[in-house]
Amino acid sequence: MNNLTKMFLNLTVIGAFAGVVLSGVFSVADPLIQANKQKELKESIFKVLPEAKDYRKIEKKIGAEDFTVYLGIDANQKPIGVAFKADGGGFQGNVGVMVGLEMDYLNLKGIEILDQVETPGLGDRIREPQFKDQFKGVDVKPKVEYIKFRKPEKPNQIQAITGATISSNAVVVNINRAVEKVLTNFPLEEITKAQSGTVQPAAAPASKETGNGGK
Amino acid sequence: MDKTLEKTEIKESPAAPAQGGKLVISSSPHFLNTESIPKIMHTVVMALFPATAASVYFFGFRALLLILVCIGACLVTEYAFQKIRNKPVKIYDGSAAITGILLAFTLPPGFPIYGAILGSVFAIGVGKMLFGGLGYNIFNPALLGRAFLMATYPVLTTTWVEPRTVQKAVDAVSAATPLAMMKFEGKFAPLSDLFIGNVAGSLGETSVIAILIGGLYLRYKGYVNWKLPLGYLGTIAVFSGIFWLINPAKYPSPLFHVCAGGAMLAAWFMVTDMVTSPTTALGQWIFVICAGILAVIIRLFGGLPEGVMYSILFMNAFVPLLNKHTRPKVFGEGYKVQ
Amino acid sequence: MAENNTSLFYEFKKGLWQDIPPFRLVLGTCPTLAVTNSVINGIAMGLATLFVLLGANIIISALRKYIASQVRIAAYVVIIALLVTVADMFLAAKFPPISKSLGPYVPLIIVNCIILGRAEAFAQKNPVVPSIMDALGIGIGFTLSLATMGFIRELLGFGSVLNIKLLGEWFEPWIVMILPAGAFLVYGGLVALVNYISSRKTPGTETL
Repeated sequence: MNNLTKMFLNLTVIGAFAGVVLSGVFSVADPLIQANKQKELKESIFKVLPEAKDYRKIEKKIGAEDFTVYLGIDANQKPIGVAFKADGGGFQGNVGVMVGLEMDYLNLKGIEILDQVETPGLGDRIREPQFKDQFKGVDVKPKVEYIKFRKPEKPNQIQAITGATISSNAVVVNINRAVEKVLTNFPLEEITKAQSGTVQPAAAPASKETGNGGK
Repeated sequence: MDKTLEKTEIKESPAAPAQGGKLVISSSPHFLNTESIPKIMHTVVMALFPATAASVYFFGFRALLLILVCIGACLVTEYAFQKIRNKPVKIYDGSAAITGILLAFTLPPGFPIYGAILGSVFAIGVGKMLFGGLGYNIFNPALLGRAFLMATYPVLTTTWVEPRTVQKAVDAVSAATPLAMMKFEGKFAPLSDLFIGNVAGSLGETSVIAILIGGLYLRYKGYVNWKLPLGYLGTIAVFSGIFWLINPAKYPSPLFHVCAGGAMLAAWFMVTDMVTSPTTALGQWIFVICAGILAVIIRLFGGLPEGVMYSILFMNAFVPLLNKHTRPKVFGEGYKVQ
Repeated sequence: MAENNTSLFYEFKKGLWQDIPPFRLVLGTCPTLAVTNSVINGIAMGLATLFVLLGANIIISALRKYIASQVRIAAYVVIIALLVTVADMFLAAKFPPISKSLGPYVPLIIVNCIILGRAEAFAQKNPVVPSIMDALGIGIGFTLSLATMGFIRELLGFGSVLNIKLLGEWFEPWIVMILPAGAFLVYGGLVALVNYISSRKTPGTETL
């Protein structure tokens, strides 16, 4: 066997072996990984829409990106709010927020921080209930605002974390941007139609999917 | 230490024309001079006195306590390092005391004592002694200590109090510094308050007038090279002035930038630090201009309200490079022998 | 090959002090600095690296006579990448929080110099059993190093160890210790300490 053949065989065999092993591991691990992600998503939706027992997924293309809104429904199939993800830059990287909006599109129901790499002990305090819970019931019209050092005075204000204005600001900006998208692209009537569609399957709305949540 | 240079008003690199017909000299060889390090350092301590008095006036005896704690911790750290390494103990030369005072000047009035001690130990231990002691440190030790505290206690180092409220001990009124108000609320503090020091801020940085008195005293004694403070403040003024002319509603005036925050204190007592600033005239110009531009950029566009500390620390890192490349050529250097 | 027990033990032991990767060899500094802001992250990273190192050493030393020397690096990289991907998927499937906090640093084990370094310096010249001992020693040494870094940084940065609060309310955490700057400070301190101890232990044999 000459050297060239040997080199060729070496790499082919090792490559093929690696491929086989990887596809085997992948077929076992991938469902688990997807399930983890699904679970995380589901948990965050139910956290921002506490009364929800189930949700419907409504997808829409806004510009180039896909935007997904989750319509939360309670045990009586009544829509109780929408949840959606708001991404955007923070102090060090992406700050992903799950936002819950009341069905009247006027107040926030709550928020949950999904991804963040803010400074530990400082910016990452946006995950703490003390900060997050302020968003419950906050007005989204005209816009959510933050103020510093003082208690909020207006219904659309929250108090920023002292020393972590940039992270607090990122949360507020991301929420505003995503709320804006929802208000313009997912008008109330459409959402309710999607809902009624699920009650009467014949109406078959554009794209929906039932999450088997509430377990 | 290049203290001697500064004193004699001397030299200039061949790159720049000689000024006013004065004979100029700069990097080595230096002349011998009768000035000793302790004498210079003690003059600097004297020059810091007005600012100390102002800080006690505005922030109460808490300020004095912080200053004394920082001085004490710096001296003890220096002593310990010199003992451990079997080096001669030189804590009486005053340099550690100056580091302590300057570090305390950059702290908020309500800063806890243990934090001040930690900052002092870091400033002297890591900032100075690990590099080999006075004259070998790359970064200004006081600013390094402050930067460490900034990263260690980000909330405590940015919690300010209203001046003249600390006396009532516990209920000091928390407040924002003029720079933070500019950045986060778009409000500009009145210049008169800035000038006197009647604003929230670090201990020794608020009172422009007190710092100026000390700075001019130092200049009068000949320990400050005018290029450094004036170059730094001038760059801040010119560069921030450009933005002010573009949009006076959004960007504050150059005078505001010069008087607010730590610019004045840094210009007279930190930029001029003889160990951590360049020795050649050209190098000094590059140093102060870059630092001034950086400070304004951080203030206006960065995440932090104040950029003075990082602007100087950043430029400190370039000092060896500046010294190397702005050194006047030795006679005959650069000619190739055929 | 007639390897006796003393030399096998030596191959194991050398990774624990004499050749301890981040502090004496100054290899694998990227994960050492990046993921050691808590003990659990340090241990998880160390174990993932140990797994990859062990697998790579076994496979490479077993195949050492069959791999053509011209393509050996390419072959090693494929083997290492395979093991790293398996470790990455395992963590993502079974320990999602750890996988999330280690982020891109698990895939980056592929370019960890320790692994390719051991393959080149040891596994390709030695039989399987000594290679296993070598991988175990270096891998455990690496894990201990990361755990030590994590211990100091978590203790000072959060006042806790393994999420158990050790320092009371009086302790104001040093945020800097969890930031990259703290990693460099602790790393520098530990390198100095290790060098100081070993220069005292064996006078004459200066550190690296």
